[in-house]
Amino acid sequence: MSESKFVYVTYIRTTPEKLWQALTDSEFNRKYWFGCYQESEWKQGAEWKILGSDGRLYDSGEVLEIDPPRRLVLKWRNEWLPELKADGWSRCVFEIETDGELTKLSVTHTTERPSLFIEKVSTGWPKILSSLKTLLETGRALPRTDQPKA
Amino acid sequence: MAESKFVYVTYIRTTAERLWDALTRPEFTRAYWAETIQHSKWTPGSAWEICVPDGRVWDSGEILEVDHPRRLVLTWRNEHFPEMKAEGFTCLTYEIEPFGDDAVKLMLTHEIAIPGSKVIAAVSNGWPAVLASLKSLLETGEALSAMTKWKDCA
Repeated sequence: MSESKFVYVTYIRTTPEKLWQALTDSEFNRKYWFGCYQESEWKQGAEWKILGSDGRLYDSGEVLEIDPPRRLVLKWRNEWLPELKADGWSRCVFEIETDGELTKLSVTHTTERPSLFIEKVSTGWPKILSSLKTLLETGRALPRTDQPKA
Repeated sequence: MAESKFVYVTYIRTTAERLWDALTRPEFTRAYWAETIQHSKWTPGSAWEICVPDGRVWDSGEILEVDHPRRLVLTWRNEHFPEMKAEGFTCLTYEIEPFGDDAVKLMLTHEIAIPGSKVIAAVSNGWPAVLASLKSLLETGEALSAMTKWKDCA
């Protein structure tokens, strides 16, 4: 198969509602996502983007599916680096499930063709999602992820 | 590609020493890894095994490389399920490096040189829960509740 795919699963001591908020709220995003934040009206068909702490546009796309607090599907393209933008559209699926007092988060990020972009996000997601778990469980994000990349 | 491979990376607010202890010492593994403990001298060539609470050996193998507290490589074969045991030895590698001032990166690679391995499929499902529980224990003092008890079907 010639697609590129990154899958990450983690379990967080939180509720699906809090996790949903952490994933979609701009102010919350900034604390664990290298100072970046998303902007969207968070409804199907709405525009979606990721902005850096200095306001530059990193990624853009569209909300394809939204079912709070369980499922979010984004159409996602990098806008910042020409070689990543050239990879075209990716699809990112967030799935949230409850397992007792635990919340399971699965992130699946794919492109239909082999892509450098998925290679890049494969190193970024573990940092962002580890920091998100730490922030939700301890109130403080991990080092480096709490500020813009140097 | 004629191999099966699972790779997982997580970042934990702890030290490399403490993470090494958490991966290898029974007082830690019991708490976050479903009451299991590992027996080994943790030197190259020494035997290694994981035991479940009633004493049964669930997996066994041999230590290949030890570079405390940075790198640990061991062979691992499931001893409980005949169809998994039949696949033979997998290889598990833990790599630990610093991340920022007060955190570490843990990269785990679990692989075997056969396609479609049942063992790698099973551990791919299990590792995220084990490592999430480990991270919670080290960062909050409490493992994840779903991972504190052994369940035989696990």
